[in-house]
Amino acid sequence: MNRLVYGVIAAMGIVAAGLGGYGMAGGAGTLRLAWLVPLGGLELTLDPLGGLFLGLIGLAAAPASVYGMGDPDGGGRGRLAYAVFVASMCLVPLAANTMTFLIAWELMSLASYALVLHDRESEESVRAGWIYAVMTHAGLACLLAGMLLLGAEVGSQRFADWRAAAPALAPATRDLAFVLLALGFAGKAGVIPLHVWLPLAHPAAPSHVSALMSGVMIKLGIYGLLRVSLDWLGVGPPWWGATLLVAGAVSSVIGVLYALVEHDLKRLLAFHSIENIGIILLGIGSAALYRVAGLDALARLGLIAALYHTVNHAAFKALLFLGAGAVVHATGTRNMEAMGGLIKRMPWTAGCFLVGSAAIAALPPLNGFVSEWLTFLALFQNTRLDAVGQNLVFTLGIASLALTGGLAMACFVKAFGITFLALPRSDAAAGAHEASPPMRLAMLTLAAACVALGLGPTLVVPVFGSVAAAILKTPPSATGGDWLTLRVAGEFASLSTAAIAVALAASLLVPFAAFWILGAARRTRAYETWGCGRIVQTARMEYTATAFANPFKRVFDFFYRPSKRLDIEFHPESRFFVERIEYENPTRSIFDDWLYRPALELLQAAARAVGALQSGSANQYLAYILVALLLMLVLA
Amino acid sequence: MFRQLRTALRTGIATEPVAAAGEIERVGARLASEVARLFGRSLAIRQVDAGSCNGCELEITGLTGPHYDLERFGLRFVASPRHADCLLVTGPVTRNMAEALRRTWQATPDPKFVVAVGDCGRDGGLFRGSYAVVGGVADVVPVDAVIPGCPPSPAALLAGLLEAIGRPRR
Ligand code: SF4
Repeated sequence: MNRLVYGVIAAMGIVAAGLGGYGMAGGAGTLRLAWLVPLGGLELTLDPLGGLFLGLIGLAAAPASVYGMGDPDGGGRGRLAYAVFVASMCLVPLAANTMTFLIAWELMSLASYALVLHDRESEESVRAGWIYAVMTHAGLACLLAGMLLLGAEVGSQRFADWRAAAPALAPATRDLAFVLLALGFAGKAGVIPLHVWLPLAHPAAPSHVSALMSGVMIKLGIYGLLRVSLDWLGVGPPWWGATLLVAGAVSSVIGVLYALVEHDLKRLLAFHSIENIGIILLGIGSAALYRVAGLDALARLGLIAALYHTVNHAAFKALLFLGAGAVVHATGTRNMEAMGGLIKRMPWTAGCFLVGSAAIAALPPLNGFVSEWLTFLALFQNTRLDAVGQNLVFTLGIASLALTGGLAMACFVKAFGITFLALPRSDAAAGAHEASPPMRLAMLTLAAACVALGLGPTLVVPVFGSVAAAILKTPPSATGGDWLTLRVAGEFASLSTAAIAVALAASLLVPFAAFWILGAARRTRAYETWGCGRIVQTARMEYTATAFANPFKRVFDFFYRPSKRLDIEFHPESRFFVERIEYENPTRSIFDDWLYRPALELLQAAARAVGALQSGSANQYLAYILVALLLMLVLA
Repeated sequence: MFRQLRTALRTGIATEPVAAAGEIERVGARLASEVARLFGRSLAIRQVDAGSCNGCELEITGLTGPHYDLERFGLRFVASPRHADCLLVTGPVTRNMAEALRRTWQATPDPKFVVAVGDCGRDGGLFRGSYAVVGGVADVVPVDAVIPGCPPSPAALLAGLLEAIGRPRR
């Protein structure tokens, strides 16, 4: 039964991917069922951008569902919610009017909410679900307000009409609509400071759902931001793009900073999703700014980078979450400090996780490298803009992308090293076993996708180029190249990941070949691994994730604001003998302390003030009615 | 981070001017040419403390400072015996460190040579006969050269290394 349901969903994913591919290739189509939904009816339209996201959802849902078949502790419960989740996600990029869109959007949120509550007994899950529900509905409220505002101003709830009418709208209306819609979509995308739900909700769901939530659901926030900033509202003022760029810079750096000190494997990955959303926003923001300035080729470049990174992130983040799920299932914990040594016990999972780690750390020749390289190129071209303020915003973006890249690298050295290398740190890790065949198949597929997207930019970039051209309404871009080298339009940069891959392989092999040809003496003496001369080695001597993250905690202490708690119990007879040491070094969240807590306190104070009216005395209520009546009489 | 930057700015430059070092330069130049001839321009040294009082370490650390600056002669301290050509062992070999020293010697790739530093490294020095000490470095691993002194000065260390390099090695 389990297998059948997940098999059907996987097949559905492949069909969706096919349909998406048809849309990207320029195939268009509309489906209208006026009777099905009130207020405008159901209306679905396929266009290149919607097709891209539909294809992405389908291609991510297929391996995630295959994984679900083999996942013994995530499969049974929540099959219906999972099916609704995937189906509603497929509808979102197709929706062509407000009603259809909001219904699909809300179904997606509710289904994922049910999946977050998968483990109903755990208090953590319930709290995660609660925060997720509040944040997602606050976002929905913004979307609703923004869409109704636009609908009222334009006089139609169809997106196609907005597109046509947008240039004629009053600037203030457009700005207000932009702010409302962008807030709603940014909340779903996990842009800082609206990210608080993400690191709680994603880890709580079963891993194949986490993979979809991180891989594609938050991408629908990106989809919405693309529609708002580049499509529905026409060409906006420069501050729209600048806002997106700054939001991207902040999200990328802060996301990776939080990930660095996180030792819960799935939560670490969730924080990296925030970081990658930031990188995507850098591309979108630059595209919006270049478009305003009339630099169409550069706008396309920025958008290509953003779309490419969107697809890449879906591939490697889904892969990493599936890998993390396999590890969590094998060890029974999400805490990295209790793992270690898993590479010997689960070599397939470790290999796939390594590919994903290298991809997300943007190492050539994998896919993350190509899209971050394109993002850098797009940002560096800001010198062609003749506006100092905008140039400064771009510089911020460049600096934060560079910092993010370095820190992400460090973070995945930690994530892979502590989890898979050295000696196992717990009995559970020592007794871990390899993932089941369907899980392995899913991970291998995604790992292959990461490699293919890295080696074949010359094949995929023209596709993104045509999507970007369609959304920007400009002729298709000249960015492309021959089979070997990717050339950026304007001939200022080119890249060949295939050549890099060959060079990397050669640099590994050439020394051995040279030694062999030269006939160098290869006298070898085998000796045990160097362990600083120690006689015994135990897992307690190993580098821990906490220790690895500590230098970063110190350097960025103004951000983490760590507090130290050291608790030592001495032997009753002498202070030179320690019986027990407890050390804790927790960090505090700036956003909880400075944004959400004051906001909540304000809300509670307001509620208390209003609560004074609700005394519970019938006489007082009668008095209210009397006053209200009198007032109405007077006013009438 | 900001605190460190502030301290660095406040403290300013706190070093003394360098005195002329004629003898060091002469020994160093010969050392450099020997190292270039025998080791292809770089000699990697792993320092092992087998139980020293740290007096010898203090002098060895002096070598790496800007005054003596042994890296300009092609000598370099490395972080693992796996990278080393030479082990520079200080102190009497204590019972606790004997096995570690043996393992370090095993872990150093051939060809290699061992230099015992200080009177302690020669034969146990001040600590000879102590219940906690095995003896000099030569009692645990084969030694190629000895640099006596308690502690030997940086100049003596350089001269001793020069002599050790000049000897035929196993
Ligand atoms: S030789 Fe002298 S300075 Fe060196 S370890 Fe022995 S006692 Fe200390």
